[in-house]
Amino acid sequence: MVSYIGKRILAIIPIVLFAILITFVLIHISPVDPAEAYLSAAHIHPTEELLAEKRHEFGLDQPLIVQYFQTVMKICRLDFGRSYLTNEPVWGEVTARMPATIQLAVSSILFAMIVSIPLGFLSAVYKNSLIDNFSRLLSFFGASIPQFWLGYLLIFFFSVKLDWLPVEGRGSWEHLVLPTMTLSLALIAIYTRLLRASVLEQLQESYVLYARTRGIKEKVIMVKHVLKIAISPVITGLGMNFGKLLTGTIIVEQVFSWPGFGRYFVEAIFNRDIPVIQCYVLLAACLFIVCNLIVDLVQLYMDPRISLKGRTDQ
Amino acid sequence: MFGSTKKAVLLMVAVILLLSTTLLGCTKKETESNGENKAASAEKVITLSWPRDVGPMNPHTYNPSQLFAQSMIYEPLVSYKEGGKLEPYLAESWSISKDGKEYTFKLRQNVKFSDGTPFNAAIVKKNFDAVMKNPKLHSWLGVINALDKTEVVDEQTFKMTLKEPYYPALQDLALVRPVRFLGEAGFPDDGDTSKGLKKPIGTGPWVLAEYKKDEYAVFTRNPNYWGESPKIDKVTVKIIPDAETRVMAFEKGELDLIYGEGAISMDSFNQLKESGKYVTELSDPVGTRSLLLNTSNEKLADLRVRMALQHGFNKQAMVEGITLGLEEKADNILSKNFPYTNMDVQQVEYNVEKANAYLDEAGWKLPAGKTVREKDGQPLELELIYDKTDPIQKAMAETMQAEWGAIGVKLNITGLELTVQIKRRKAGEFDLDFWYNYGAPYDPHSFINVVAEKGWGVSEAHSHLSMKQELDQQIKETLASTDEAKREQLYNSILRTLQDQSVIVPVSYIKKTVVYQKNVKDFSFPANRDEHPFYGISISK
Repeated sequence: MVSYIGKRILAIIPIVLFAILITFVLIHISPVDPAEAYLSAAHIHPTEELLAEKRHEFGLDQPLIVQYFQTVMKICRLDFGRSYLTNEPVWGEVTARMPATIQLAVSSILFAMIVSIPLGFLSAVYKNSLIDNFSRLLSFFGASIPQFWLGYLLIFFFSVKLDWLPVEGRGSWEHLVLPTMTLSLALIAIYTRLLRASVLEQLQESYVLYARTRGIKEKVIMVKHVLKIAISPVITGLGMNFGKLLTGTIIVEQVFSWPGFGRYFVEAIFNRDIPVIQCYVLLAACLFIVCNLIVDLVQLYMDPRISLKGRTDQ
Repeated sequence: MFGSTKKAVLLMVAVILLLSTTLLGCTKKETESNGENKAASAEKVITLSWPRDVGPMNPHTYNPSQLFAQSMIYEPLVSYKEGGKLEPYLAESWSISKDGKEYTFKLRQNVKFSDGTPFNAAIVKKNFDAVMKNPKLHSWLGVINALDKTEVVDEQTFKMTLKEPYYPALQDLALVRPVRFLGEAGFPDDGDTSKGLKKPIGTGPWVLAEYKKDEYAVFTRNPNYWGESPKIDKVTVKIIPDAETRVMAFEKGELDLIYGEGAISMDSFNQLKESGKYVTELSDPVGTRSLLLNTSNEKLADLRVRMALQHGFNKQAMVEGITLGLEEKADNILSKNFPYTNMDVQQVEYNVEKANAYLDEAGWKLPAGKTVREKDGQPLELELIYDKTDPIQKAMAETMQAEWGAIGVKLNITGLELTVQIKRRKAGEFDLDFWYNYGAPYDPHSFINVVAEKGWGVSEAHSHLSMKQELDQQIKETLASTDEAKREQLYNSILRTLQDQSVIVPVSYIKKTVVYQKNVKDFSFPANRDEHPFYGISISK
């Protein structure tokens, strides 16, 4: 187990190096000159002399390979440079905004689990019943509605018309309700259906038949045996989505004025704040890798049949 | 591998941990409520939205500090009022030497910073020195380039000497940044404010009382304010980046006011206006949206082609259709509400026949069976570059492409990243481009400056005019002139020439919008484009 985790962690290194390479290449092929972007963000008229000075300062006059290694070395020290716009260290700005984003992601995942697990399970057990039809409808709705639009609709009904909840901002638990609902609806849509399909598949398995013939109570079979195995793909999906939520709450953060990391990134794009963009892309890559690893470990723990060897060979 | 009880316990612990992180996040924030509820009953509070965080409130630097917020805390020596009139502010009076180089300011008595320390010539000089530590940062500003030295004459008298006469020095001092005054306690130890400051301390009517980055900023009255105290107790600025969310927060009553350029979409503005439940207003023009026709392209070097293009599109219909009435068709390059710009010009009307006649006369003939005019085998093909994230520019570019197509001009439109668009403009690498003037209090002097000065794209666009040298000379004379009458005459001549030459084609006047609840009273747009609008505002509960 320990050596497996160790191997997986070591495998992160080449992936991160590759991610750095990709962002590095993207920045260099983009038509935006970092020196020019810096000066325009700082409201300084770019003369040739100033541009040359800035290019030197950023190391842009060095050979590409040297620049790449310098970037890697800096990132190893968690030095992502300073934001062109605020002149503050990027890492500090990102970590200051992370709690808000993590809070939103965690609450969305939890809410999605609380709704989709019972709903998916019940719609499989009571196939073609009212509850199954309801979950089907909810899933169609959740999977097809664009998030920003859902956000606006929720604000319109729950805040403007009914006056139950605040429109925007972060503060009390009430502020968390609408963004959480917006983010989790799409997840609920997917996981309800996923769990339903998975439970139905398990019900066809022979162990269920044997359990029934042994006279084990239906409730016990369902909860202790079927659900326990059927839930595995849902866990994988939720885990992967956690990484996505941490990096992909951009639209929802924008709509609900949530002061998180995604909003900071949007502003960075508008201002061509290259150090911030670079940090975001790398962080996104790392978060995905880490979430993937955690999911694998959880699955391993939930279902020891998944052999360690098989996993590492993949 | 694990016992089943152990598994269950571990899972429970994990879920509890996750839950508590979420809840902790919430409860912690509850204590940080932005105070608007506390204030609601007795105090007069105005809550408005702003798309970006107000920033570090440094009077001597630019982004990300927001201009309106800087102007609430810091004040200028002279203030820019309607029609470009300059009024005494922190300087009670001033005198300018005959050669136009020495400016002596008599400072207002009994002015205090918000921390109670006195405002005097020494602190004025200290602020000038801090700005001058980084002249490159401010090289876009005329007065900084012209500044030779500053001195403290006595406690209340400050003198500024220029290297050469530069008449708009006072207009430049009226700007929101970089020449406004920070109190002694706000300065960092080395006096270099470009790297940051200790505290935002100014002489203005407001002080920053509460601030949470990316969430809100609360301004309360400055207890030591020298002038008439504001009628409201508090201004709460909520940071709402999304325009539609802003509108919904306003409709719900969470906001009293939405103000700014582009703060609200054209559709929402009209919708709120039609509802009749709120007050909606448009300001006088703050700037002109124009097209820049580059004469270094030999096709556009011909005045007849430039005139044909101007006659060849229905400006009125385009502006009304695209901006839904939020902008107004422009005939003057600079709107009439700036100093020296109040002149009548001949309208270039929409007339396709005239456009065709101009092109025929210029030798651009339409070969039979073709749709694009040609001359010496060359097609009349031009490229218009625009900012691809700006929906108005895009829609206008498409309209002109269609309209000019009908007179045999092939217009290729290219959407660019803003930085690339600016880069190409500055290098003069374009045929046509969108361009905006700077507005009050920058114009008209900043405008004529870029017509003469290379490096901004405007001078480059005019480079093949036969009278360019003469024009540059006139501009130089205007900026250095100390004689008001002569300056007026020079401005008139310069602006007429530019208008006649049609290198800059005015399209529409840009206006600021405001929407507010009916209990907000006495709102007025500031004459200075960048200032805050809270001078006389009040609210009834």
